[in-house]
Amino acid sequence: MERSFAQEVAKLQLGAGEDFHGEGILAITKALLQSGVSYVGGYQGAPVSHLMDVMADARDVLDDMGIHFEACANEAAAAAMCAASINYPMRGAVVWKSTVGTNVASDALSNLASAGVKGGTLVILGEDYGEGASIIQERTHAFAMKSQMWLLDPRPHQPKIVELVEKGFELSEVSNTPVMVEFRIRACHMHGNFACKDNRRPLVSRKQVLENPDFDYDRICLPPATYAQEKHKIEHRYPAAVAFIRENGLNEVFDGGLKDVGIILQGGLYNSVLRALEQLGLADSFGNARIPIYVLNVTYPLVPDELEAFCADKRAVLVVEEGQPDYLEQAINAVLRRAEIGTTVVGKDVLPMAGEYVADVLLGGLAKFVEGSLPTGLDVAGITAEPDRVAALKARAAELLGVPIPKRPPGFCTGCPERPVFSAIRLVEKEIGKVHIAADIGCHTFSTLPPFNLGNSVLGYGLGLASAAAVGPAMDKRVISIMGDGGLWHNGLASGVAGAVFNQTDSVLIIMNNGYTSATGQQFIPSTGKNFRMEPTGMTIRRALEGIGVKWLKTVTTYKVGEMVRTLKDAMTTEEPGLKVIIAESECQLAKQRRLKPWVRKQLKAGKRVVRTRFGVDDEVCTGDHSCIRLSGCPSLTIKPNPDPLRTDPIAHVDQSCVGCGLCGAVADAAVLCPSFYKAEIVQNPTRFDLFLDGWRRRVIGALQGAA
Amino acid sequence: MTAGNSAGGPLRPVTLLIAALGGEGGGVLTDWIVRAAMAEGFPVQSTSIPGVAQRTGATTYYIEILPVKTADLAGRTPVLALYPAPGNIDVMVASELLEAGRAMELGFVSPERTTLIASTHRIYSIAEKSAMADGIYDGARVRKAAPELAKRPVLFDFQALARNTGSVINAVLLGAIAGLDQLPISAAALEQAIRDTGIAVESNLAGFSAGAACVRGEAAAPAAPAEPERSWARRRLSVKELLGIVESAFPPEAHAVLQEGIRRLADYQGPRYARLYLERLGDVLAADREAGAAGSGFALTRETARHLALWMSYEDVIRVAELKSRRARFDRVRTEVAAKPDEPVQITEFLKPGVEEVAALLPPGLGRRLLAWADRKGLRDRLHLPLRIRSDTVLGFLRLWLLAHMKWWRRFSHRFAEEQALIERWRAALTAMAREDYELALEIAACAKLLKGYGETHRRGRGNFLRIFEARIAPALAGAREAGAAETLRQAREAALADPEGAALNALMPEPGTASGAGVEARAAAE
Repeated sequence: MERSFAQEVAKLQLGAGEDFHGEGILAITKALLQSGVSYVGGYQGAPVSHLMDVMADARDVLDDMGIHFEACANEAAAAAMCAASINYPMRGAVVWKSTVGTNVASDALSNLASAGVKGGTLVILGEDYGEGASIIQERTHAFAMKSQMWLLDPRPHQPKIVELVEKGFELSEVSNTPVMVEFRIRACHMHGNFACKDNRRPLVSRKQVLENPDFDYDRICLPPATYAQEKHKIEHRYPAAVAFIRENGLNEVFDGGLKDVGIILQGGLYNSVLRALEQLGLADSFGNARIPIYVLNVTYPLVPDELEAFCADKRAVLVVEEGQPDYLEQAINAVLRRAEIGTTVVGKDVLPMAGEYVADVLLGGLAKFVEGSLPTGLDVAGITAEPDRVAALKARAAELLGVPIPKRPPGFCTGCPERPVFSAIRLVEKEIGKVHIAADIGCHTFSTLPPFNLGNSVLGYGLGLASAAAVGPAMDKRVISIMGDGGLWHNGLASGVAGAVFNQTDSVLIIMNNGYTSATGQQFIPSTGKNFRMEPTGMTIRRALEGIGVKWLKTVTTYKVGEMVRTLKDAMTTEEPGLKVIIAESECQLAKQRRLKPWVRKQLKAGKRVVRTRFGVDDEVCTGDHSCIRLSGCPSLTIKPNPDPLRTDPIAHVDQSCVGCGLCGAVADAAVLCPSFYKAEIVQNPTRFDLFLDGWRRRVIGALQGAA
Repeated sequence: MTAGNSAGGPLRPVTLLIAALGGEGGGVLTDWIVRAAMAEGFPVQSTSIPGVAQRTGATTYYIEILPVKTADLAGRTPVLALYPAPGNIDVMVASELLEAGRAMELGFVSPERTTLIASTHRIYSIAEKSAMADGIYDGARVRKAAPELAKRPVLFDFQALARNTGSVINAVLLGAIAGLDQLPISAAALEQAIRDTGIAVESNLAGFSAGAACVRGEAAAPAAPAEPERSWARRRLSVKELLGIVESAFPPEAHAVLQEGIRRLADYQGPRYARLYLERLGDVLAADREAGAAGSGFALTRETARHLALWMSYEDVIRVAELKSRRARFDRVRTEVAAKPDEPVQITEFLKPGVEEVAALLPPGLGRRLLAWADRKGLRDRLHLPLRIRSDTVLGFLRLWLLAHMKWWRRFSHRFAEEQALIERWRAALTAMAREDYELALEIAACAKLLKGYGETHRRGRGNFLRIFEARIAPALAGAREAGAAETLRQAREAALADPEGAALNALMPEPGTASGAGVEARAAAE
């Protein structure tokens, strides 16, 4: 977090009646402060990292209100933090990326949900399903059901989102149940506005401390209390929640003229469905639809009497529910069956079972529903004209283009320190043959994509080494596991390293130490050396590993490809048993440049000597084979049409974005590629000696060169 | 004024989709537009799917603006969408050519509504970059599709415009949006948004004005950067006589490539060597004439001339030293790294000649013996002489200069003999075949494409060339030519360039013992 979020922090301090403008995730953050939270914690991950970043930067505001903020070690730690709300009337919120974070948090969440809460507890979840997602595709819904936590899925309208966050705390308190609130990626990045309230000071806080700890055996997760808790869920918490949702109108009904049909949807999909209806001529731009809509801002639990009332006079309803399995559709069918209501429930038969509900998917599904359900008073002839037009447009575009547009898979940034490690692995593989690589989660997962195509499995954050446990003994060569420093501190130190040392696993582990959880926006971690309050921590990876008992431990600067190759070969072939760990060290280039650029500007302005490094390719020497690109993939190492009239293959070219990390040269050297690369060091603000030396050199060289 | 709201139709938001690459400032562009819409009192909503990485991932930003001010809505609130709907985009902004193509593919460019603002410059995708030969997507496809698919296509190299104005592409694109007047927001408000943001205001405003002027047709297109000249263009070479022979003896279609070839080879090894080039092509031209190929524009002569010039000027240590030590090259480096005239530029060269490069320069007998020794010891690709030469220093430069001046020796070297022998074999094959199967002769000529690069790349290319020659060309010459031989040869050549591991070529022409599964069987047998 080398960035500053001062503007965002200012927005968190807006008072009653003032207008907030900003991204959805920031609106949620503000809503937490308006709800009187005592604590906030979490673990970074798109699309909710921003909440953590801004909170970390807002420490003055939080300190003033006595709110405790913690950048937790992982999601399990964040969920465990909510224990404060079990015994005490403390409101709190934790945040992470779902479903991966929810998976990690499950142990603590189950216990929390069983014990029940006194203080309102919100779990803010960034849903990462569909386009742009970076994780496995699953639904959070199952977690809510199995642990019995309530699940809110607010309609993407900032005033509504803020209201539901505030109501969520009340719901949690009334029903003694933690409440999950899910926000899809686009809603988190949605720019909008709402009228603020004043921030509320927490009842219990660093400034309002408790004197007596509460002891109540009923809140301990151990039999027989757990049996009582399970009963309490059904006898008290569930009915209390349903009543609260109904009485406070958390779900919404929007009426429409075509009364014998209806749409039941997850709140988060409301805007998309409205737009599709508009395209079909069944709605205007202000939410006035001709088909009645029941918006489930709470997707678990359902409110049976609301459902029955909505469906009673309808022949058919369409359930718009993203992802699988179709929990809502099944549940709605069950409610209607029990109430002996004969309404036909349409859902996954006209909409796809899996995948994101993007605009044209919904358009097609809604057209099919309308065409099949024949609403009284609507002429359905021509209802498919719009989806047909869109399909024809795409088909025509494909025909005109002839060849599909090449994909742009994500890759390592310009000058990324992790890239050289994979260049080195490719070079080692050339010598010793293909190796099984247990990949991990982080920027380094991009190694599995072109041009490296390295990595045989990805099992979860910090689990690279653990995922090699059974493969290793079955392979004729040692397995290489990858782990980021983020993953190491998240859980890999215990689940991977300690496990491997304990089991005396003969394996190779590469730890990418770039200083931050870079993939999520360079948040600090224990080995960064300081925490978000900028207090030094003195924690290092090396000391942690030595403490655990790792004997074979080498640290290599990642850009030194030759040394990395040698070290890796050594690790792969040494007679020494047990775990071999290579710490691949170099700072995240994004963070480094963010710090370096202003410094260089300042130096230059002050007339100080600054050497700028750039790499380049000699046009006439390069023959256009692109091995260098296949071993690097750096965005600044690209191609350009061959200026040689006799050659047709494009040549390699280093563009202006080069940060001079030196990998091209190191790879060309280590892989014995070609002599095309050169390193240029440009001496800016040269000293008089620089100029003298350069003048002399240029004169001698110029004379030798002659005219050409 | 606004594309989305023709008179009489229902009121609907104006939609704008921005497709950019990470790091291009798509987020800032979105902020400017949102800020301007808010300043003028229009309901607006934006959202995004940010790309994961800095430079490679494609990112999209989506904005909806209701073209009626909030004050005139009598308290009604619009429901604005978070997803762009295919066929329903009013303004599609693509910061790069293929991203415009991608938008078309996804249905975001429609003839009924869409103003397409696309920059025509290219940022190559990883698949295009890592191809072993030419993998560049044919951008003409996108340019050709634009007029039919877009209501109003505006394709221009906005990147060059940004560079020329010292600005960045997002500011230029904002100017283009303003200039085209397709949003309910005024150009003045968009410009003001840049000022209000307060970051790099001057350069962004310059870019904004350039973009606006450009789409209004008020400014001339930026000049394309000048083609860099070949370093030997500056050298005085005595090739007048040879060029005269080209004029008189060769068909006009082949003049350009022959002239280039002669200059290149005269520079490489002197006019006598360039004359050898012409003599070699004489036979090819005769065969071409006999084959009655005048109609095809003497394709065989042209292609052979092209490949032959490149082959005869093969890259060895001497050539590399020569190219790297030239004044023109020093000038080019300075331009490329954008060094100011007075700034010293220190240049480090990464040379790592191996056994093969050294053997290449020895006399044939000695060279062969060295290679045989290296092969026995398994050192052919392991023994190298890593040289890091600071060519901007006098001593460093002298090393290059001395190497370059060993050119006279090349004629007596091992590699020279080897290359000339193989050239003759190749030339004889294609000349002989021209009369029998012209297509096949052309394909034989094209096989020279496989020979390029240094070190391992060169070894692999030469290996593939020889393998294909023995398996496909030699039998045809011996009289065992099958129907479709040209096509079979083309497939083999393309397979050789499909992947560096040789998987495609092995699949096409299995070598004994390399059939798939053999490895596993062998291991199983060993156990």
